[in-house]
Amino acid sequence: MFRRILSFDEPYLQSSSSDNIAFLESLLNDLTISGVQGEAYTEALELAGLVPSPLEQFAILPLIPMNIGNLYFSFTNPSLFMLLTLSLVLLLVHFVTKNGGGNSVPNAWQSSVELIYDFVLNLVNEQMGGLSGNVKQKFFPRISVTFTFLLFRNPQGMIPYSFTVTSHFLITLGLSFSIFIGITIVGFQRNGLHFLSISLPAGVPLPLAPFLVLLELIPHCFRALSSGIRLFANMMAGHSSVKILSGFAWTMLCMNDLLFFIGDPGPLFIVLALTGPELGVAISQAHVSTISICIYLNDATNLHQSGYLFIIEQKRGSERKKVHFST
Amino acid sequence: MLEGAKSIGAGAATIASAGAAIGIGNVFSSLIHSVARNPSLAKQSFGYAILGFALTEAIASFAPMMAFLISSVFRSVSRVTI
Repeated sequence: MFRRILSFDEPYLQSSSSDNIAFLESLLNDLTISGVQGEAYTEALELAGLVPSPLEQFAILPLIPMNIGNLYFSFTNPSLFMLLTLSLVLLLVHFVTKNGGGNSVPNAWQSSVELIYDFVLNLVNEQMGGLSGNVKQKFFPRISVTFTFLLFRNPQGMIPYSFTVTSHFLITLGLSFSIFIGITIVGFQRNGLHFLSISLPAGVPLPLAPFLVLLELIPHCFRALSSGIRLFANMMAGHSSVKILSGFAWTMLCMNDLLFFIGDPGPLFIVLALTGPELGVAISQAHVSTISICIYLNDATNLHQSGYLFIIEQKRGSERKKVHFST
Repeated sequence: MLEGAKSIGAGAATIASAGAAIGIGNVFSSLIHSVARNPSLAKQSFGYAILGFALTEAIASFAPMMAFLISSVFRSVSRVTI
């Protein structure tokens, strides 16, 4: 019944809803009968655009609107928070490495930066050292920047009233696509047309080749999507669930019922308990996406044979050592 | 009708968590097995286990993501008209 009234009154609602006495009266009636959970109340809230959505926190708002015709490049809240992260990281690194590289006995700040650096360096060497062992990789700075940015960016989204940049599909997808395109270019640069052999494992009978090329090419191209989606889904789902559970706690607190008031710490503790894993997920996602970038880059530069070559090189090294010893 | 279908869809999306539960359980059971066989590798295999856990958990969060998207992004048509 109420739906019909609403749809009947819709043009009138648009002009001035507060003057619509019949509408307000029916709303009041419905409220007294079925309370806040009533269908009419939620409908009215939805009409007014007041319905609390867990995805509300991800809204992009232009802070400094800028556009040329239909081309929008406003300074939005994601840009603000990205700038904040970048400046935080850069300031930290700058102050730590002052006077040409800090102290030989590091203080807490310096050792934290050194910890991050060492961590990424070990990761890169472990994943794509290949033939050369502990040589510093050419792409280490790029990977390090990605890791540090994600490491500082993801936990910052957990601060209340801040904004999670990485919970936006566009941003994570932009990151993963640019990395994918870059890795493909690097692969062609390093290996020339031999890079195409990535889509065909060695020693495959010829009749099977067309299928295998297709089967290998699809996952290879899907990598561009998957690392972006992974980051986005983790950030969004985690933050929304924290928001929903804190909404439960708040609703129970506002119920004006002693039983609910006593029981309220339950959801509250769940929220607190969820915050810990959420921080862990934020940090481990930075780790995981860095590792996947390393694996893709390793595949592109060393193709499939890196493992075998590594073993061969080790054997050669040990033989050379034996020769040295004997002479 | 649409509301009901949305709720059913959001609920059905969370069934996918079962697979993630199996995966996470598998990761840690393998960790326990391997540590029981070779305790000297405990630290190294724990690192790999955490990595595997993070990867599995990433897939696991697709389920609530779909549930949230279904239940709060799609709105009924009446909102569009206003």
